[in-house]
Parts: sequence; structure tokens; C-alpha cells
Amino acid sequence: MRIKAKSKGDKTEVKVMMKHPMLSYREAKKKKKEANFIVYVTAKNEGAVVYEVSTSQFLSKNPYMKFYFKGGKKGEEVEITWVDLKGKTKTGKAKIK
Amino acid sequence: MQRRKFLGLGAGIFATVVAAPSMLSAENYRKKLPKAWKVKNDEKSKGEDMAGVNGAIKAVFGSDKTEDGKVKLKAPDIAENGAVVPLTFEADGAKKIALFQSADPESLVAIFDVPARGIPNYSVRIKMQQTGHVVVVAEIDGKLYKAEKKVKVTVGGCGG
Repeated sequence: MRIKAKSKGDKTEVKVMMKHPMLSYREAKKKKKEANFIVYVTAKNEGAVVYEVSTSQFLSKNPYMKFYFKGGKKGEEVEITWVDLKGKTKTGKAKIK
Repeated sequence: MQRRKFLGLGAGIFATVVAAPSMLSAENYRKKLPKAWKVKNDEKSKGEDMAGVNGAIKAVFGSDKTEDGKVKLKAPDIAENGAVVPLTFEADGAKKIALFQSADPESLVAIFDVPARGIPNYSVRIKMQQTGHVVVVAEIDGKLYKAEKKVKVTVGGCGG
């Protein structure tokens, strides 16, 4: 997972690229694999949830997301966690610049 | 963070109590609204039939009565690659935002809950297997607002 978090005055801008094939049911059938995709993503800043999305098979492969949240200081941590359809979960962290 | 708290206070019970509320504030709509993700588009309509999208809006928000305005949606007029269609949407004051399209087998793409410190301005990239309409619905002060844009897809991107 690649995370870039940048303080912009009273808010923080976060860009994240998650590594995941995001195989839809149709794509999986073609490839004779099981469908699997990220279904839920949250981001926290020093423990507080600042971003939350439930997602489907129609996000592009290796999903990219950009969002903003109020507050966040340089040096603080942004922690992003995803869960996929099979229950696999991954967490990435970055310091706010 | 939790580990630090745990060690600092030396009380495991406290750590679990602290963790619980932050879990409760989270809404995994995959689990909460399993049916909403299964509302199908009429793929033969070539992205023109909006019944699937409207059905999915109702499944997510409990109503499909929407007003125009308050939601800004940026999407390309033409997507040369349907596997990666960049979208940006913004709705000041929204508590919940959901993203739909009429091009793929099912309508619903994502549901955003806007936390206390969240800013309802999001960018994502989606797959569209054919030309269709992208729809963003935002709940603001208990009302639903909608923005819609047609995206022409020249090469489909959903294995279709």
C-alpha cells in the first residue's frame, strides 16, 4: 500500500494506492479464479476514524483513493486498513508531511 | 497507539473499552445492506436504463426521491479505458454519499460514511464495461441530492 498524506492548512490530503486485483465475478469467471475485491476501507488519524467507505467489485484494479480530513498535523500518523471479500485485511501507515 | 495506551495504563480492560466505540462508529455496508449490492442494471439497455440505479439508491437510502444540486461530480465525457474511469465528487455537509453507475452488471459502487472529521470530497477510479451514467447521491440535512453524468466508454473494462 502506498500512502501519501500532506498537511494543507487546517486539513490533510491523503492519497492511497492499494495493491489488490479487484477481481469482479465476471472477470474471475473468465480467469477461472474466485472473485475477490476490497469491500471496506477505513483511515484513522491518531486513532480517530477520518475516512470510511464500503466498496464493490467495480473499483479499478489496485484501487486509488483521494480524500481529505479536518485537522492532522505534520508528523502525525495516518493509518489505512482494507478488508477484502475473503476477509483478508491489510494496514498501511504514513506520516503526515 | 493501543499498545502504548495498554502499557501506559497497565489495564487490558481499559484498552478494550476504548477500542469498542471506534468500532461501533464504523459502518460496513457490505454487512449492513447485503441486498443493496445485488441490485442489477439492465445491461442490454447499453447504460441507458436507470431502473437499477434507482433501485440501488432506494436500497441504500430508503428512498429514491432526490433533488438536483449541492453535489458536484467530475467525470470524463469520454473514457478511453473503461478499466480506469477517474471520478471526483463533493457534497458540502453530507453525512453519507453513495456512488452508482448504469454500465456494469450491478449498480452500486461505493458508500461513504462521513466521520466527524471527514470532508465529503472524494476521488476514486472505477471500472465501466460500457457507456453508462455515473450517479452520486448525498444525504444532506436528511434530504437526498443527486448529480449524474454520462460517460462514454470506448473500450470496456469489466471483463465484458
